[in-house]
Amino acid sequence: MVAIYYVMIVNILYFAIMGLSYRNISTIFRRSKYSSYNTLSGSELVPSVSLLVPAYNEELTIIENVYCLMTLNYPNYEVIVINDGSSDETLSVLISEFKLEKMSNPEIRGTIETNDMRGIYHNPDYPQLFIIDKVNGGKADSLNAGINFSHYPLISSIDADSLLEKDALIRMARMYMENPEEMVAIGGDVRIANGCLIENGAVKKVSLPRKIWPMFQSIEYLKAFLGGRIGWSHINGLVIVSGAFGLFRKDYVIAVGGYRGGYPGEDMNIIIKLHRYMLSHKLPYKVAFCPEAVCWTQAPDSYKIISNQRMRWGRGNLKNMIENRGMLFNPKYKVMGMITMPYNVLFETFNPYFRITGLLALIGYTLLDMTHWRILLTFFLLNFLSGYLLSVGAIILEEIAFRRFKKLSDLWKMLLFSALKFAGYHQLGVIWRVQGHIQYLRKNNSWGAMTRQSWKEESKTA
Amino acid sequence: MPQSVTLQREQKTDVYHNLGERLKETSRELCGIMFLYCSGNPPQLESRVRDFLQHESGLEIEVLKDSSTQTLAILLPGFTLDATHYQALLLKQYLQETMEDADPRITLTVFPGQVDPTPGVLKQMSESTRLSTSSDIHIFTKEEAIQEPGRILIVDNDDTIREFLTIRLKMQGFETLEALDGTSALELIEKWEPDLVLTELNLYGIDGLPFIHQIQQLPVENTPKIVVLTEQRVERTISQCFKNGVDDYVTKPFSPVELDARIHRCFH
Repeated sequence: MVAIYYVMIVNILYFAIMGLSYRNISTIFRRSKYSSYNTLSGSELVPSVSLLVPAYNEELTIIENVYCLMTLNYPNYEVIVINDGSSDETLSVLISEFKLEKMSNPEIRGTIETNDMRGIYHNPDYPQLFIIDKVNGGKADSLNAGINFSHYPLISSIDADSLLEKDALIRMARMYMENPEEMVAIGGDVRIANGCLIENGAVKKVSLPRKIWPMFQSIEYLKAFLGGRIGWSHINGLVIVSGAFGLFRKDYVIAVGGYRGGYPGEDMNIIIKLHRYMLSHKLPYKVAFCPEAVCWTQAPDSYKIISNQRMRWGRGNLKNMIENRGMLFNPKYKVMGMITMPYNVLFETFNPYFRITGLLALIGYTLLDMTHWRILLTFFLLNFLSGYLLSVGAIILEEIAFRRFKKLSDLWKMLLFSALKFAGYHQLGVIWRVQGHIQYLRKNNSWGAMTRQSWKEESKTA
Repeated sequence: MPQSVTLQREQKTDVYHNLGERLKETSRELCGIMFLYCSGNPPQLESRVRDFLQHESGLEIEVLKDSSTQTLAILLPGFTLDATHYQALLLKQYLQETMEDADPRITLTVFPGQVDPTPGVLKQMSESTRLSTSSDIHIFTKEEAIQEPGRILIVDNDDTIREFLTIRLKMQGFETLEALDGTSALELIEKWEPDLVLTELNLYGIDGLPFIHQIQQLPVENTPKIVVLTEQRVERTISQCFKNGVDDYVTKPFSPVELDARIHRCFH
């Protein structure tokens, strides 16, 4: 019976959040349609941003990404690529492509502890581009090094395997400028680029991935970002801003001590820390999600890589929850303490255990003839239907506001795969999370393998 | 409707092309030419002009009409510059007397004379007639003529802006090509060697200062002049652009007249 209540509460919460997303979608649609981003992107009044791009063994994609980042529609910004002691040619391809030279006496103003920097490279012909070369220390460490070197009051972390849309940053800045006093972090919408046609560092034609793993992730991302985060953002209860693309106030990031190294999930960690800092200092603040700012990322397309990624996420999530258990049900932390954190612990972190025990119990009951098999069936159907409805809801949100998918066949495909998701992929997700927790308990703390495909190959195979 | 615009443009080019051919055939004989434009497009203007001039001079004159702009081209074979000017004065007086609100604009010259009758020059004369703000008769001189139609490469991601600039610059007798992004623009500059690049700073592929640098480093005989037309209004960027050899910098939203003036200055 507990299982059924659990499922009911989960679904009510999910639907409530999605309801909030729906409430906001028309505002989002209008502001993305009618804002004059072009004018804004040339204005002196837009705050300057430092883009931080941590790169570890990214020789295949880094050039394309840097070109993409250097042609953003934005008045004043710099691109700082942090080479985190790559063992491949990441640094040398950058140096030869942009004819960089080592700066003789770089000024490093930040004071966050990081691993040693080996040098900073620059070419006056590309005044907005800097490359930091440092001893390997992980993603968080690289970001901190970038913060230390950055010149501007806003920072934006961007994964080296992601491409930003030309307007993405200015759209975020527009949101920031609405309320520059209170905005501490803004997250962007991450979408899956597999299958899209990529030219000149920009996504030219949007279509769904061909392979099955990216396909499922595509729907998953759509559901998480549009169905979930718009709603969470509305009640200021976002627990994560995607590491792939987020904008932060540098002063507050430094105030909370920068990114935490040594463990995955640094993107969730920084947000929780920001919430915690702002709430315990009783400062008004907002962590927002900006769905119109789009970042395209490469999704892992093999079982091994995706399982690795998900286990890492599971591990990071558990670690963050344990670290910040003090916020749980603590009224001092308002929405965070009373809703977001409990939600995350109960329905994200412990979700697998409830599901597994619930399932086992139900099967047990049925075998012992304590319940009828019909109840079991109803239970499954209910589960499936609500899940499916959530996916469909996210697809409808997408269609109301953004319409990035131009082909009708893509829509049908999405609807089909939203259903197929429950036959295997969903269950795998649960297992991966448990495996992640096991890794945590075993203190296995590696980042795991992550392979890259050149963007060019990507569009060829698509 | 872009199609219709293009069609009209083609047709108009043909008028000047024919006119140029005609003048070339009779290149040794003297031939006066005047362009007449009356705003508001009064009815039967063409036949009135024809009747008046034939009656007045008793010579074989020829009247051609550019149907897209309603400008008349009047050929006066055998006329010297003074004679053409005299006829123009008479015609102007006649039109002003017979039609109440007529406000004729006339530009004239004589071939062979200061300028060669290329289609570009003829088109330019016709345009200057139509856009003239003074009712005085204007004698077209060498200084005004763009010697060779200048080549301008328009680089912008915005279709509307590109189309607008193309139409406007073509009307003034420039040759134009369009590029959508930085990389294709660089290729075109190398192949086509334009005299001037009119570019946005926000482009796909490559943009901003690196783009300007790349243009200047291309292995072409004459590095094109660069006029930036952009949304970018950050002072630092503007001054950096000038430091890096940009010839002019115009911000959007822009005044077309001002842009024309700045482009023309680059050509002189």
